[in-house]
Amino acid sequence: MALNVLVVDDSAVMRKMIVRTLRLSGLPLGDVFEAGNGQEGLDALRDHWVDLALVDINMPVMNGEEMIDRVRQNPETADLTVIVVSTDSSETRIEMLQKKGAGFVHKPFTPEGLRETISHLTGVTHAEQAGEGALPGSSPDF
Amino acid sequence: MPSKLEKELYRAAVLTFEELGLMLPTAELDESQRRAGAEVTVTVAFDGPFSGRLTVTICGDVTGELAANMLGDVEAPGSEHCDDALGEIGNVICGNTLPRVAGKGALFSIRSPRVTRPGEGGADDGEPPVATAQVGFDNGRADLAFFIDSVAEYEPEERR
Repeated sequence: MALNVLVVDDSAVMRKMIVRTLRLSGLPLGDVFEAGNGQEGLDALRDHWVDLALVDINMPVMNGEEMIDRVRQNPETADLTVIVVSTDSSETRIEMLQKKGAGFVHKPFTPEGLRETISHLTGVTHAEQAGEGALPGSSPDF
Repeated sequence: MPSKLEKELYRAAVLTFEELGLMLPTAELDESQRRAGAEVTVTVAFDGPFSGRLTVTICGDVTGELAANMLGDVEAPGSEHCDDALGEIGNVICGNTLPRVAGKGALFSIRSPRVTRPGEGGADDGEPPVATAQVGFDNGRADLAFFIDSVAEYEPEERR
């Protein structure tokens, strides 16, 4: 199963880092979409089939929590796997996100941490495929 | 002697520069690092049990390498990507410092980073910072300053 992934972060540099980590993770990737805030993320979900959304919290226009609420309210996206990738590691915030059915990865993240969280929540592991360019079991340079 | 807040600020900065920016801090600042001039500052404001801001001022030729590392590019990144990379560094340092100071349960709202250059208006007007830290790199240094503007439920340790 190849995962179609949506990366939502207001930093273009961070989006690129996340996408690069995903491509090096060994996870089977399909299409990768990017959005600069929660509203753009919802627009992308409306236009594309997405299996996994990686979402930042603090963003202009619409933050990550509001986006997740809207995702859960929409029957078409209610079951979407969402992982918050954020610098905000308050236990209170993480509990709130878990109640919304979202996983959490703390910035700065390691490639292994991101891959393990994705595998845990989606059930997809790198062992299921051997895509070209993937480096299962190894770490990229950050 | 550094305060608890300054130790936490330094620790969060080193962690972030190492893991996110792939920049290895030097153990001590040499003369060229100390003399490096300010190039760019990122300010990250926050609200919560206390409100304030963190500033990270990059001195010397550091930002280009930082952005290139984060992007994984060989070519020199443009100024837009350099500002974006520095903004994310400031954001992550701030987000990692706050729970270490205010406790893991404290809830903060962190605003989008703002990047300025010398002469564009600094964020350190008014009250002095409650904590500062310096991190050295091969080509310069980062000066960090942590400001608390208002306190709702918290008083920093060094003011007690």
